[in-house]
Amino acid sequence: MEYRDYYKILGVTRTATADEVKKSYRRLARKFHPDVSKEKDAEARFKEVQEAYEVLKDPEKRAAYDQLGSNWKSGEQFRPPPDWANGFEFRGGPRAGAGRQGGAGPQGSRYSSEDVFEEEGYSDFFSSLFGGGAAGGPFAQAGGANRRRAGRDHHAGIDIDLQEAFAGTTRVLELKRPQLKPDGTLEVQPHTVKVTIPAGVIEGQPIRLTGQGEAGPGGGKAGDLYLEVHIRPDKLFQLEGRDVTLTLPVAPWEAALGGPVKVPTLAGAVEMNIPAGAQSGQKLRLRGRGLPGQQPGDQYVQLKVVLPPANSPEAKALYEEMRQNLAFDPRADLAR
Amino acid sequence: MTDGTDLLQAHLLDEHDWIGANEICRVCRIELTAVVELADLGVVSPRGYVPEEWQFPATALPRLRTVGRLMRDLGVNASGAALAVELLEEQHDLERRLRRLERLIHE
Repeated sequence: MEYRDYYKILGVTRTATADEVKKSYRRLARKFHPDVSKEKDAEARFKEVQEAYEVLKDPEKRAAYDQLGSNWKSGEQFRPPPDWANGFEFRGGPRAGAGRQGGAGPQGSRYSSEDVFEEEGYSDFFSSLFGGGAAGGPFAQAGGANRRRAGRDHHAGIDIDLQEAFAGTTRVLELKRPQLKPDGTLEVQPHTVKVTIPAGVIEGQPIRLTGQGEAGPGGGKAGDLYLEVHIRPDKLFQLEGRDVTLTLPVAPWEAALGGPVKVPTLAGAVEMNIPAGAQSGQKLRLRGRGLPGQQPGDQYVQLKVVLPPANSPEAKALYEEMRQNLAFDPRADLAR
Repeated sequence: MTDGTDLLQAHLLDEHDWIGANEICRVCRIELTAVVELADLGVVSPRGYVPEEWQFPATALPRLRTVGRLMRDLGVNASGAALAVELLEEQHDLERRLRRLERLIHE
């Protein structure tokens, strides 16, 4: 696995104080938080920053990490030395005096599938040094429980296209279901499910998958998993609720004289009539052509008059004729 | 035990589906005290008499999840997160309208 330079990631020196580490973390967290960040790869960067802070904010983890030495470079192939964390008190059990005990033993173990999702969010590098579970390193805690890590549940979303939202779709999800073993430790079972998403889902709509959430305490009945559906922006159609809007380029004579035109819809092309005297920016409505539902949405067609280029003698002549004969002043209202 | 591939039907949830307080707290990873504060601020409108028995329309989920993330990840308190989430929603709305206008002008 690859070495991660946590100091570099947080933009601090190896001798940075705890305060400097915290300040830097807060600035970077704000910069890359996916909910508010405009940076590309915000989520990946945020995860990186979180992981780095997880280690550097904890004096013991930091000390253990420092033991690896400062000669490693980011991205280098790495393997933890077998005795790298010698001298640290806690091995394979809950940490005394750190206030993070609690829930030791099978009955008391508290965990959630969301916590386990986060576990998956840590790099292999982190897991090999600090990972949870009985097989993990000296920082392992029985049951892997009780870690109130700042977490991200952005993976709690499903991204689909507008066409998929219109027609319905299926998605294969890999869920990591934590299974409670008899010895009280958590084992993560990857579990593939195929989910059918019915037609007419809207942006941000929550969906429920019954029984796919975490098991109850002591391995009881599984709760439900909630996911949010996100619809990717579409090239042609702009979605708002269940309505879609399409910008339709039209020729000047089509707008002025009116007539039928072929218009794309989510269900395929349809013929629509442009009323005579239409202007650029005008919106026409195709009822029921939006996303399906109890109240199906509509499709709005926004006209955009585009001019044929005056790039031939004939075209120029036609334009000149219009100029001479039409007595048209578009700026009449502008005069003061 | 190996799991095969299960085929599941997703249940689409809307404002007519209600989720209990405990469930909301679990799913959005938010404390009940924070939820009470958010209700006071008008960020969510639960039904019910006591917070432990409150129920929320499923459509509140995305908002509450975002609030949960902001509080956990950025150390914002409930009122700050409430303000932030409202501004974020307004921003998304404006961005959408802007994109529509830009299509009209540039294409």
